[in-house]
Order: sequence, then structure tokens, then C-alpha cells
Amino acid sequence: MDRAFRALIERTFGDLLTGPVRQRHDETEMRIRPGDVPAVVRTLHDDPALGFEYLGDLAGVDTGTDFQVVYHLWSVVTPDWLRVIADGIPRDQPRIPSITFLWKGAEWMEREAYDMFGLVFEGNRDLRRIYLPDDFVSFPLRKDFHLPDDASRSPGGGVRPMEDAATPADAAAATVRRTATAR
Amino acid sequence: MTTPTRPSLDDPALTIALEHAGIFEPIPMARTERQQEFYTLGDGEMLLNMGPQHPSTHGVLRVVLKISGEQVVDLDPVLGYLHRGVEKIAENSDFHHIISQLDPLEYISSLFCEWSPVMSFEKLLDVQVPRRAEYIRVLTGELNRIASHMLFLGWYALDLGGITPILWSFAERDEIMEMLAAVTGAKLLFNYFRIGGVNGDLNHEFMSRLGDWMGRAGAQLEAGMGLLNENEIFVRRARGLGVLDRETALRMCTTGPNLRASGVPFDIRRAHPYSVYPELEFDIPTRNEGDSLARYLLRMDEVRQSLRIIDQCLHQMPDGPIMARLPRLLRPRPGRAYSAVEGPRGQYSCYAMSDGTDQPFRLRIHDPSFLHLQLVGLLMPGNLIADTMAIMASLDPVMGGVDK
Amino acid sequence: MVSAYWNRLSLGSRAILVLVPVLLVVGAVLTVAAALLLGPLLDFINANLPLGRFVLAATALIVITIPIAFLIIYMELKVIAAINLRVGPDRVGPFGALMSVVHGLKVLSKEDFTPLGVDVPIFTLAPIVVFASIPLTLLVIPFAPGLYGQDFNLALLYFFAIGGMSVVGLMMAGWASFNKYSLLGALRAAAQAISYELPLTLSVVGIIILAGTMSLNSIVHQQAGSLFDWNIWKQPLGFIIFFIAATAEANRTPLDMTEADQELVAGFATEYSGMRFGFFFFAEYVNVFVVSALSAVLFFGGWNAPFDWPFPVTVSLDPGGLGLGLIFLIALAPVVGTIILGLPFWLLSSRISTLRALVTGFVLFNLLIVAAFFGWAFVSAAWVSGLVWMMLKTFVFVFIFVQMRGTLPRVRVDQLMSFAWKWLLPASLLNIFVTATAVSILANR
Repeated sequence: MDRAFRALIERTFGDLLTGPVRQRHDETEMRIRPGDVPAVVRTLHDDPALGFEYLGDLAGVDTGTDFQVVYHLWSVVTPDWLRVIADGIPRDQPRIPSITFLWKGAEWMEREAYDMFGLVFEGNRDLRRIYLPDDFVSFPLRKDFHLPDDASRSPGGGVRPMEDAATPADAAAATVRRTATAR
Repeated sequence: MTTPTRPSLDDPALTIALEHAGIFEPIPMARTERQQEFYTLGDGEMLLNMGPQHPSTHGVLRVVLKISGEQVVDLDPVLGYLHRGVEKIAENSDFHHIISQLDPLEYISSLFCEWSPVMSFEKLLDVQVPRRAEYIRVLTGELNRIASHMLFLGWYALDLGGITPILWSFAERDEIMEMLAAVTGAKLLFNYFRIGGVNGDLNHEFMSRLGDWMGRAGAQLEAGMGLLNENEIFVRRARGLGVLDRETALRMCTTGPNLRASGVPFDIRRAHPYSVYPELEFDIPTRNEGDSLARYLLRMDEVRQSLRIIDQCLHQMPDGPIMARLPRLLRPRPGRAYSAVEGPRGQYSCYAMSDGTDQPFRLRIHDPSFLHLQLVGLLMPGNLIADTMAIMASLDPVMGGVDK
Repeated sequence: MVSAYWNRLSLGSRAILVLVPVLLVVGAVLTVAAALLLGPLLDFINANLPLGRFVLAATALIVITIPIAFLIIYMELKVIAAINLRVGPDRVGPFGALMSVVHGLKVLSKEDFTPLGVDVPIFTLAPIVVFASIPLTLLVIPFAPGLYGQDFNLALLYFFAIGGMSVVGLMMAGWASFNKYSLLGALRAAAQAISYELPLTLSVVGIIILAGTMSLNSIVHQQAGSLFDWNIWKQPLGFIIFFIAATAEANRTPLDMTEADQELVAGFATEYSGMRFGFFFFAEYVNVFVVSALSAVLFFGGWNAPFDWPFPVTVSLDPGGLGLGLIFLIALAPVVGTIILGLPFWLLSSRISTLRALVTGFVLFNLLIVAAFFGWAFVSAAWVSGLVWMMLKTFVFVFIFVQMRGTLPRVRVDQLMSFAWKWLLPASLLNIFVTATAVSILANR
């Protein structure tokens, strides 16, 4: 845990942070609003005092109530992994700015997040399904998606022809099954 | 019984069927700007569908090439043929069970697929891994790295049309796999690392095989590399092919040997030390050319460094327990953990979220092959069809990891 | 009654019972027919001897392509296996020697389908065109004194002309296949043929200048003598160019652009299956043989021995002189030979039974006799020794081709082209220039 780094983050991003900067093991975690992602990421990348040149990971998360996009960054200034959580993306409007302007390599990771969560990354030139077929309609890693074998009554068991044609009229709406206890 | 008549190509119904079968130019309904751009053919351009059943796409990958003559203008990789939704599976399995689910992600170097999830679970649980277990992890991991890099040598040569190196490198790989089989019990998908340690201590068979192999490993590996290192045809084909410069490499989130071949000395073993790597002495080989030859030679240098690490592990390994004391049923307290390891292909990382139950709330697997395959679209345009496979193989993606 | 006996018989016995009478009848009919027709037939052949000779040679050449291809395939399997640290085929036949036969049977028994959308007549004809050019080129190659299909004064030109025909077949295959990979493979084949036919043809011009003829038979005759009379000493550069260009011509690694399987799946042959596919590969392997044979003929003295045969061997065996003793010799020699050759094994160890020692002796004796027979044929018949030398040289080159395939990666298609145009072509022109200058200087002196 790098206390000095925590202070640096708090000092740099003061009012952009939506929650406390948390630290555990070798990770430092900061939370921001999804709209602030480009500004924050650009500062992290370009500021010589920070110098987060390396994007370790980009992950979508469904907390059960809303979505998050989690970035992991690495820099020489701190021994910690920096975790940037873009918090509170609403379920009905899952939109977040893309970071492909900075890391072109995030394009496919954003495509994956779109494929799995339906997160729309604005500014990604190629935002389409990457693993699943193009005509797939649901988003499997959302918490209201049922595994086909554990809920056969779920509309469209993830099987393409069935999904296209055979959604029963009286199919029960999928429900959120799990919600994160720790935000 | 009636003999079926041969359908005529002029039949309009058949034309539609052929279009659906992808025999004619497949121009799907463009969903994105990029797709629109790709599937719009310029003068003298045509689409060539490579894969998913192509002899050398390293697994089940489909690449749509836009070619002009023999020159590749653009390409569009189509993934998902091996997708099995391992992240979803992980959300519905308990923490111990997940390890075996993650093995087949990268069947070439499966220990590294286990390593980063195990590390992140340990962070969630605040477990201290015994030092002997850490040494065993490093030892087996480095062996696996050598096996993986030697296989890379073979595949790379095979994609350039040389059929011998693959079998030479398989001889090497076989010895290492036998070794690991002796200690893990499996030859390919080891399922060896456990939360808090490893599954079994080093046994006599492993040690005797390893000692036997270490005596001749250096010479044997050099002999394998010698097949290609000084081969004029090989060097001429690989040099200057698919050059990836430093800035682009970072911008494309490249990791591992591909990044280091572009002149960035970034190795998680040193950049963000984990396990017992801080106690071990080894170099991070780096090259500045960034071409296919550099990527190949860099991996070969890494093999030499791995041999050094193995040697040190054998000398420094302490006695002691190999597993931390843990309850059978793991219920970590709610939280998030991220861990990354340096595998033979780059950064294998895992982001785990727990909500206090015995199953992770969210498990994100990050695989280097996925990002390296993305690089192909950047490096390929302008090269010949003959080089598609050469560039792809030099980036060394494994489709199991790409498709998750 | 009859059926009870019939039911007791095994399948083989039933077959024999049926076949023997049939064969007897057929044999009788054939004998009668031969007796009636042989006279006129022989008269006809005598009247058209050159034609008969040609038909015989052509038939023989088509037929020998089969064992040659099988031998080369087996050789390739085994040699590359050795390079690859593998064992190679070892199940079918002794040391897996029948593996290529089994391959042939497999190819024959596979479904031979025509995919949708192909240009059917051209698609069907292409393998035939590719294959047909091979026995035609074999026709002019002299294998031994007096053992050649045709000898005429344009043989070399004819060889290259017909050899270029196979490319037409490849183009047909690639175009008709309705597959982009096939088309790319075919276009590569055409480009490669155009690039490499040129240095290939020009590289032998030096030899034509030296020999003053294009007849392969005369070229071989002019190289008679010892090792140092071969053309390789006069045309080393020509040979190197010829060999590289021939590798490209025969589509062998490292220059096998047309069916680079890592790039173009199988090139022109992608859509073919069954025996049509087999024809392509059959042609490829026979082509390796043809090119090797031509290298041996042009540069390595053809059927000539590498040294002057130092002593004239005349073996005058007159078995008739032995009279009745001959019968005793034939009857006793195997017995005595078996015992003599088996005795050391019998004495060697008590673990070797008498029977085993005798069997070993018998086998050894037979080998000895066969060796003696071939030795006798070798020294007394010029065509036997010529054939042996020719085959030895040819298979040395075949071995080099096979070994290259095991060792080298493939060059890139643009490197291949630039190598042909920028290096091989100027080098072959230089070779012609130097040869012509030297010949004219030596002639005027």
C-alpha cells in the first residue's frame, strides 16, 4: 500500500472522485463518474507525475443495480496497481465514453464488455459483438441473464435459432439474481 | 430412387443459398463504421476468408482478409469459435472449482492461467502462501514457460514452411510435460496451483527427471534454436516483418515478449513483483527492432533466463509446508482483488470480486493472446498473404485464451 | 451331397475350386488364340519396328512412374522422419515399405467429388493434363545405353516445352476450382513458371554450346570416361542455376509456392479429392524423379561410371560344357551351400537350433546367388551397369530434394520472384557468355 500515492490521487482528482480512495494489498482504488473517464484517464496517462502509460485490464461489472467499468493501470511512480472504477452506469442507459483515443488496444476489450454486458462505449469505432454471433440479443454476463442449463424456462437459452424464433409469449421476465453486497 | 440433378448456378434460389454459405463476397449488414469501411471493396480488391478451418490459424480463428492481388489491404478477425463463457462459469462455481475451469484457457501454458486467479483469491482471503509453495510455483511456471516458448519456435517455423523444428521442439516439450506430469498428475491441463499453495510437493520422479534434463537442457535448447537462428531463408523472411514500434505497442496494450521486442523493458516479474521473483536473479531481455525476428529471438533469450531461474529455484528452495491452512469452504469477505503474472505470452491477469459467498461475484480473466491478436490488424496491412501467418505466429496467440 | 461338401470348405478353398477350372479354360483358349495369331502379330511388329518400339517405350514409361512415385514417397516419409526425430511408417510391409502403396489405395478408394460451381470439363481434365506431361518428358531421358524412349536432335528443347505443359494443367485446376485459394495457387504457379523456366532453359545453353547438340543421348556419350569428363566441371555455375530453377519447376520446398499449405491451404489442389488429387501428387513426385534424372544426364555423365572401367570383364560361362555334371551342380549346390553357410551359426552358439541355422544358411545362400547373378549382369551387360549408375545418380538428387524439404523453410513469393529475375537470370546469361567466349577462343586457337 502506497499512502503517498493515495494522497497524490486525492490531490490531483479531488472533486472528480465519487468515493474514498481505498487501498488493500497492492491495489489503490478510485471511483469516478462514467462521464469523467476520458479526462481522468488522460490526466493519468499524460501527467509526468503519474505516467500511467500501461493499461492492464478493462472489465465490465454488473453489480446487480447498475454497471461499472473497471480499468487497471500501471505506472513506474507507484508499486501499486491503480484501479479506476467508473461507477454508477444506469441499467437502462448503459453508456460510457470510450478510451480508445488513448489506448487503441482497449477496442477489443470494450467490444467484449459490450458483448457481455451491453455497455455502449461512445467513440469506439468498432463496437459490435466479438465472441457471440451478431444476431445474439441478450448479454450473458448481466446478472439478470440466466444460464441456459440452470433456467431452461429463460427466453432464448443462448442458442441462436431458438433465440430468434422461440421466445414463448408467456415467458417470465428474467430477474436479477445476485446483487453485490460490497459496492 | 431418383438421382439428384445437378443444380445450375443460374438458379436464383441457389444464388441466394450460395451467398448465405459465404461462397460469394460476404457483405453483411454493417453494424459499425469500421465494419462498413472494411466490407466496402475498392478497385481490384477481394475478400478472402481464412479459417476457421485453415491449416495454420493456430486454433479456430477466422480472419477475413481484404486483398489486392497477393497483398493484404485490411483484415477483420472473427472470434468466438472456442468461446465457452468461462467468466460466467466462474460466477457459478466455487473458488476451488474455478481453477480447473481456467486451465483449458491456454492449453499451451496452463499453469499461468491458474496462477493469476489463485493469486487474486489469496488476496481476497488475505492468505499468506508458504515460501516453499511459492518456489514450487516459480519452478513449475518457468518450466512451463520454456515448454511454451519451444512450442512457439516450432509453430513459427511451421508457419514459414519448415517442418522439422516443430518436432524437435516437441521432443523438448515432451520432456518438460513428463516432468510436470510427474508432479501435477496431468500432462496438459495441470490443475496444480491451489488457493494458499500447490497441490503436491515435488516428488522423486520430478526431481530426477529435472536433474537429468537440466544437465543437457542448455545444449539441447540451443540445438533446437540453431535450426532457425542462422537459417538464411528464415532470417530474411522474419527480419523487418510486422514492425511494431514502442509507442504503438503501448497504445495497443501489448504485453510480454511482444512488448519487450519493441524496446519496452516491461516485465511484471520485475515491474510489479509477485511471488518470490524479487529474490531471484535474472535479466529482462529487450530488443529494439520490434519485428518478427526480434520477437522470436527475444523468446529464445527468455528461455535462457528461465533456465537460470530454475537453477536458482532448485538451490534456494526452502523446506516447509506447501499449503496454507484454510477452511474447506472459502467465503472471502466482500471486496475486490486484481493480480497479474508474467506468462510466456504476456500479462495474464485476473480481477475477482467477492460478495461474501463461496462463489465470486465477478471474475474477469485478461488474456494476452486476445490483445496480441488485435495487433494483427495493425501489422498486417501492406504485407503479402504469405506473411499473414508469419506475423500472426510471431505474436504467438493461443485461440483458447483469445476466446475464453 | 455336393452341397454338404461345399459347405465344409473354407472361403479360400471355394475360390480355388471355382477359379482353377475357369483359369484352365481361359488358358486353353488363349493358347489356341496365340498359336493362331502370333505369326501375323509378329509379322506386323517386324514391319513396324520403330512404331512398336515407341509404343513399348511409352507404355513402359507410364508403368514405371508408379513404382518410382511409390519409392520416392516412401523415401520422403522415411528420410524426413529421420530428420524429424521420428520413426516414420513402420507398420505396413517390411520397415513400412508398403506405406506408399497403401496411400495410393487410400486415395483411390476416396470419394471423388466435383464441388458445386466448378467448371466441370476443365476441372476434370486438369489432373490429366498435369500428369500426362510427365511420362512424355521421361520419353527422351536416356537411362542406359540403348535404353531410352526416343532419341532425337531436339530432345532438350522438347523436354522443356513439355515440362512447361504441367503449368497449364495447374492453371486449369486453379481456375476451374471456383475457389480463391486455388486461383491464387494457380497464379503463383504461372508466375513461378514464367520466372523459372527462363533461367532453367538458359542454364543448359552452356551445355548445348559445348555439346553442339540437343540430343540427350549424345550429351551423355560425350561425357564418357571418368569422373572428370562430366559436364559439372565445365559448367558449375550452370548446374547451380539449373538445380535451383529445377527445384522451383518441380514445386519442391523451399520453392513450393503453388501449394504452400500454411498459406494457401493446398493451392490449386484445394478442391480436389480422391484420385484426382492423387494425380497431382503423383505427378509431383514423378517430376522430382524426372528433374533429378535430367540433372544426372546433363551434368553428371548420365549412365557413365564415375571411373574408367579398368579391366575388361568377359565372363564366358558355358553351362553346356559341364554335361551331366550340371544336373548334379544344380541339385547339390543349394544343399552344400546351405550347409556351409549355416555351419558357422550352428557352431556359434548352442542357443541357435539346427533348423534355425539351416534356414539362415539357406537365406544367405539365396542372397549370395542373387548377388552373384546381378554382379554377373552388371559386368557383362552395359545397359545393366549403365542403369545402375544412372539410378544411383538420380536418387542422390532425389535424396537432396527430400532432404531440402526436411530442412528448409519456404521462401516468400516476392523473394522468390526477385531471386529469379535479379540473380538467376543474369547469372545464366553470364554463364552463356563465358561458355561461348571460351568455346570460340579454344576453337580458333
